[in-house]
Amino acid sequence: MGALAKLNERLRAKPAAHMLVERLSIAYQTPRGPFRAVDDVSFEVAAGATLGLVGESGCGKSTVVKSLMGLLPEGTSVSGRALLNGTDILGLSERALSDVRWTKIALITQSAMNSLDPVYCIGDQITESILAHERVSKAVAWARAEQMFEIVGLPGSRLTEFPHQFSGGMRQRAVIAMALSLNAGLLLADEPTTALDPIMQDQIMSRIRSIHADMRRSMILVTHDIAVVAETCETIAVMYAGEVVEAGPTAQVLQNPRHPYTMGLQNAFPKLPVRGQSRMPLISIPGTVPNLLHPPVGCRFAGRCPFATDLCRSEAPAKLSNSISQSAACHYQDRASEFRAIAQKASTWRHKDG
Amino acid sequence: MDKTPPSPTVIEARDLKTHFQARSSLIGALAGRQPRAIRALDGVDLAIRRNEIYGLVGESGSGKSTLGMSLVRMYEPTGGEVHYNGENITHVHGKALKDYRRAAQIIFQDPYSSLNPRLTIGQIIEEPLKIHRIGDAAERQRRVEKALELVRIPAEENLHRYPSDLSGGQRQRVAIARALVLEPQFIVADEPVSMLDVSIQASVLEILDDLSRDLGLAVLYISHDIATVGYICSHVAVMYLGQIVEEGTAEDILTAPQHPYTQRLMAAIPSIVPDENRERVELKGDVPSPLDIPPGCRFSSRCPYATELCTTVEPQLVPTAEAHRVRCHLYDAEAVATHPSLEPPTSQAA
Repeated sequence: MGALAKLNERLRAKPAAHMLVERLSIAYQTPRGPFRAVDDVSFEVAAGATLGLVGESGCGKSTVVKSLMGLLPEGTSVSGRALLNGTDILGLSERALSDVRWTKIALITQSAMNSLDPVYCIGDQITESILAHERVSKAVAWARAEQMFEIVGLPGSRLTEFPHQFSGGMRQRAVIAMALSLNAGLLLADEPTTALDPIMQDQIMSRIRSIHADMRRSMILVTHDIAVVAETCETIAVMYAGEVVEAGPTAQVLQNPRHPYTMGLQNAFPKLPVRGQSRMPLISIPGTVPNLLHPPVGCRFAGRCPFATDLCRSEAPAKLSNSISQSAACHYQDRASEFRAIAQKASTWRHKDG
Repeated sequence: MDKTPPSPTVIEARDLKTHFQARSSLIGALAGRQPRAIRALDGVDLAIRRNEIYGLVGESGSGKSTLGMSLVRMYEPTGGEVHYNGENITHVHGKALKDYRRAAQIIFQDPYSSLNPRLTIGQIIEEPLKIHRIGDAAERQRRVEKALELVRIPAEENLHRYPSDLSGGQRQRVAIARALVLEPQFIVADEPVSMLDVSIQASVLEILDDLSRDLGLAVLYISHDIATVGYICSHVAVMYLGQIVEEGTAEDILTAPQHPYTQRLMAAIPSIVPDENRERVELKGDVPSPLDIPPGCRFSSRCPYATELCTTVEPQLVPTAEAHRVRCHLYDAEAVATHPSLEPPTSQAA
């Protein structure tokens, strides 16, 4: 057990990572021209902190994750910086990336089914990643894998089983165990519970929260579910059509949103009733997300925003820098409290349905 | 709640069972072993009235979709009965089945795969009319336009567009229009908004709500997203492993759930305003396989309150209040009287 204790100590000594993303822009090359999936995005995750990156399908949140893991398709144009503990990790060679992936940034993917190899037992897959980065014997790596299984609530004896013998929730736990195995400074969780049933979702998220509390790794949680962010993350960045439109401390942003899109998201989010209390109807946001092959000149939300003016349609608001306090990319931030009151009426959002 | 007399029942399931045969292994078949039955739907009673949206919630594998498909007769039930306007249609075939399918429609989860990409919106909605040989070209055109109007899609601009030109929300509304064009009385909406972005879910839910009221439709709304159910449903049933474990008004189920499973299900829903006190019991294991249903109460293998009685005797759906029924020994006065070890969980409403 001496070797295992040493390995554990070595891994425990790894500091939580500091992640600073500055002016990140990513455009996929398509036959019809560049598709600007991410446009001038900045955010910061302090060491040991959690950031929730939320947005709807196509907003660019997964593209951000892929760029941090070096998983973008070849030929994609990327600009800006992503400083991990001060070192830019964008555009690293495959070789240099292997020093970053798993050891410094670990990814918890959405579909555990596809991220596990069906022909190897789970224990082999976890020990493989440990052995690739640490000079220890296979027995020690296996013992470490057993400890990781325990952390996620799986019996160590099941390490010898294959992915198909696990249920969906167990597979997701196995993927989390794998991500934890090298105690990377930054955890990237990309929709970690989306494909699961509600009770399992809740159990996995509680597990992730308690792991975060114990290990104090930095974490970026990518999700479409603002309530999951509300319960898990200290800070939030709301993305819309490739841009961060609002960011800040989670409770502040969700209680007093300043961007009309965040207000709309909140109105549209289904809530459980409280006995004896009447509740607001669900209000959807009219219209559709702009095509990022030809993004509009002005604010990208202007076409769906009930408060949009000519200014919004002709001039894009200033992009958000990575400030710690609440900020929104909206020309009329100073009128946010007035907008919030009007935004709660269904009629406000009904003007252009389609 | 208003006290108008209840509207007539449109669709009713009586002890409905739909079992499937598991494929037996070659060796099993050679040895003459009987293939095992998957009891996907195992004795469900349910009635939906005109103008009513009935919510059906539960996790994957609980049998919600099997119930929906059995009610519209995409599956032929293996036991029990389905009554439509008082008429037993459980095993009808041929013309009678075709007539029934005109009256009972289903909307699926994925509007990206349920619409033929090579047909225009107009053709997609017209197709059911052609299949059922309704009207001439002009009449069909009129009905297609009316159906589009009901789902708030401007007919003129959209009749000749293809599904790929539409957003997910618009596609789902086209799927609803296709179901409406036959003027059905009963619609099964199977997870109609779970593939859609949150910002547009409400628009589809609102349309379902308006339709049931304006056209007098009976709607079975199937969803794993319990929070959406509260917005449009008057009654809700919770399914677990092929059976209804709790049933009542939406308000009762969502604010004061009684069955331990329902309580856990409600506690699992995260909230924008985090509630530190939200009590969450970790459930043991996963939903058991419908091939291998535990004896006694089906939830007993995971239930934190389970006693010996629960693992041996199957509980019945018993009324606990007006229009509220629960399948749990904890709420069965007789069981509690004879088994003092049963300790009811504190209701979340208290």
